[in-house]
Amino acid sequence: MKDADAGTVHREFVKGNEAICHGALAAGCRHYFGYPITPQNDIPEYMSTHMAAHGGVFLQAESEVATINMLLGAAAAGKRVMTSSSGPGISLMQEGISYMAGSELPAVIVNISRSGPGLGGIAPSQGDYFQAVKGGGHGGCRIPVLAPHSVQEMYELTMHAFELADRYRTPVMILGDAIIGQMKEPYTPGLCEPPGPIDKPWATTGCAGRPRQHVKSLYLKDDDIERHNWKLHEKLQRIEKAEVRAESYHLEDARIVLVAFGTAARVCKTAIQWARKEGIAAGMIRPVTLFPFPKTLVHETAGKADLLLVVEMNTGQMVEDVMISTSHHDKVRFMGKPCAMPTPDDILAEIRLLAGKTS
Amino acid sequence: MSQYEIRFSGSGGQGLILAGVIFAEAAAIYDGISSVQSQSYGPEARGGASKSEVIISDKKIQFPKATSIDICLALTQEAANKYYKDIKSTGILLVDEDFVRETPKGDFRVIKLPIVKTASEEIGKAFVANIVATGAITALANMVTYASVEKAVLSRVPKGTEDMNKRALKAGYDLAKAVM
Repeated sequence: MKDADAGTVHREFVKGNEAICHGALAAGCRHYFGYPITPQNDIPEYMSTHMAAHGGVFLQAESEVATINMLLGAAAAGKRVMTSSSGPGISLMQEGISYMAGSELPAVIVNISRSGPGLGGIAPSQGDYFQAVKGGGHGGCRIPVLAPHSVQEMYELTMHAFELADRYRTPVMILGDAIIGQMKEPYTPGLCEPPGPIDKPWATTGCAGRPRQHVKSLYLKDDDIERHNWKLHEKLQRIEKAEVRAESYHLEDARIVLVAFGTAARVCKTAIQWARKEGIAAGMIRPVTLFPFPKTLVHETAGKADLLLVVEMNTGQMVEDVMISTSHHDKVRFMGKPCAMPTPDDILAEIRLLAGKTS
Repeated sequence: MSQYEIRFSGSGGQGLILAGVIFAEAAAIYDGISSVQSQSYGPEARGGASKSEVIISDKKIQFPKATSIDICLALTQEAANKYYKDIKSTGILLVDEDFVRETPKGDFRVIKLPIVKTASEEIGKAFVANIVATGAITALANMVTYASVEKAVLSRVPKGTEDMNKRALKAGYDLAKAVM
């Protein structure tokens, strides 16, 4: 393909993990804290060599627990902050993530997930879906989760994550995996505007000349914690109403609709192209925000289509959100491949089976 | 061309990931053709054989792994044994003639070239074997222009080694041209 953009726009050939760093720096992130773990090490490596040139702070903490508390502190001081880790490291951070959600602190947390449970392996996996979207931390905390499926999106959704974090005063998670983190493909920086600076009158920046203010998640007095819970709930409802993003791929006339996110959705696109060449009307809903989940689109599509096929690199997690989204439970099918990327042939075979074609 | 797949393999440290990045970047950035590069990482890459894969296509590439390989480069016996299996029937197994003595058999063409020897004796540094190999693959694949590969090489190699790498690329290109 002679790309129409080649030669006319500036393109870079980078790993997904590097594109996250480009997006963070473009969004004005100047504080990164982290602790190494495969397959996300390109992120701290990049930040360690580039953050100083941007006048920012890179700090390798002594653990993930220390990392998330450094993030909390810098976020409370009103800075745009980011950390990244993978499965086990994200588990260690959950207490701090809950504290940050409770304290309403904006931050971006990247999970380039690995296989689990436990130490698992470094194979690509989407096994952290539940932990990410259902609130991995205690006390009913939930945070927006974005799922990029290309290097371009690793860059753009990172910028969007900072914007959401600041607008709603909440941690935001980017959920990727080893494939999308480690592969290189061209992307075009600067296609979307980075979020501008934002006033943070609540930040603890030193109280000289003004009343003291607190950033906290501890509420012991009377009904304070109940009121605080309703406030957070109302915020989540606003996020669910305004911030759903999903890609509709060949959806208009689709009889068999795949539902997939991230790397799995890339593979589904190839399978759908092949299925259409055979005359099977296949399409896809690709949730870009995993929380908030595109419930309305899923339900409306389920009403029109013959079948929904949920494809995940796990044994079945997002499929539960598809079931919650629609009353057409009899139309929902699932195909999972834990800890590995399915091939387009695997998915095409399943599509053919559902379409009643044996060839 | 619909889709063209290349696997660069050898021993960890031979610069095969860089070779893959250079080739894919030549395609994507300088020639404006869709390309994706992936590699083995972490423990997968430890303990000897290492690989890097490049896919070039006339369409946007979604599935980023090689499954039907047009050219598989192997600079070591272990890499040849481990990575030749996905070569397609019209494909090429390109091996270093001194380091791969037992060529795996299959329904593909085998090309043996003195890649490491050319790097160490003709250019003077064994570590440019990856660039010699890239030159050979540029000729064999005929998918990406030589000028673009050279530009990508020069943008990725350490300062002060540009001339040596240019000569390595040309030497590899000529080696392959001689057997085509």
